[in-house]
Amino acid sequence: MRVMVIVKATRNSEAGKMPSAQAFADMGMFNEELVKAGIMLAGDGLKPSSKGKRLRFSSGKKTVIDGPFTETKELVAGFWIWQVKSIDEALEWARRCPDPMPGEDSELEIRPFYEMEDFGPELTAEVRAKEAELRAYLEAQAKSKK
Amino acid sequence: MRVMVIVKASKTSETGKLPPKELLAEMGKFNEELIKAGILLDGDGLKPSSKGKRVRFSPGKRRTVIDGPFTETKELVAGYWIWQVKSLDEAVEWVRRSPDPMPGEESEIEIRPFYEPEDFGAEYAPDFKAYEERLEKGRAELKAFRAEAEKLNAKK
Repeated sequence: MRVMVIVKATRNSEAGKMPSAQAFADMGMFNEELVKAGIMLAGDGLKPSSKGKRLRFSSGKKTVIDGPFTETKELVAGFWIWQVKSIDEALEWARRCPDPMPGEDSELEIRPFYEMEDFGPELTAEVRAKEAELRAYLEAQAKSKK
Repeated sequence: MRVMVIVKASKTSETGKLPPKELLAEMGKFNEELIKAGILLDGDGLKPSSKGKRVRFSPGKRRTVIDGPFTETKELVAGYWIWQVKSLDEAVEWVRRSPDPMPGEESEIEIRPFYEPEDFGAEYAPDFKAYEERLEKGRAELKAFRAEAEKLNAKK
C-alpha cells in the first residue's frame, strides 16, 4: 500500500529557517535507508506559505487568497510517499525518522492513499479506463526521472 | 518550477463518502488537460484521517503515536497534485479551471512551491549533489537487485 507521510509546518519552517548541516545530513541518511529498503517513492519540501496561495471555492465563486497563512497547524512543510506493507510498517519507519523540526514540537501524519479497489460502481468503465491510463502515465513519468 | 496543489479536506471527504460519478469523470477530464499541457507530474487522493496516524516529536520527550481521526478538518489534506509550471500565476489559472473538488461545500485548494536544490545556497550545493548521487546509486542497486530476484524467480 502507499502512504503519504506529511511533515506538518512549524514556526521555524514557516520562517524559512534552514535545517543545520547535521540535521540535513541525518535526514539524508534516513532517506538513503528508505531508498535501500525499497520504500521511498518520493519526498520533498515545500517553501513557506508566504510563497503560496489558496483558492477558495464557495457557492460557485472562486477567490484567490495570498499567503502567508497564519494557522500553522493547517500547513504542510514537506512530505514523503512510501510503499509499505501496512500502516504499522509506516509507523515503524516514522518512529525512526530524525527529528523533523529540532527544537520545536512537530508532527508527522501518515495517510493511506485511495487505490483503485476502493472505488466501486461510482467508477464507470470509461472513468476506470481513464484512471488506468493516468496511473500508467504517472508511473512512466516517475520511471523516466530515475 | 514545481508546485504542490493541495486539496484540503472537508466534512464530506472525511466521512469517506466517495465523490459522485460526475465529479470523478470531470476530474478525469481535467487530469487529461493537465497531461496534454505537460503540467501533471503526480496526483492522488488520500483516505480519510480515520485511517491515518500521527507521530508527535517533542524535544526531550519520547515520540508518541496518535490514532486518527483528527477532528480539525481544516488541518487535513484530502488530495494533491504535483505540477510543473512556469510561475505561481500559471498554477492559479489552472486551479481556477479545476472542477469544484467538494461540491455542495466550501473548499480550498492550496498552491505551494517546492524547495529546489538552487534554494539551498552554495554551502549546501556540494553536499546536496553528493547526496543525490548516493540516492541514485541506491536506486540503481535496488533495480539490479530486483532484476536478479526476478531472474531467479523465473527459473523456478
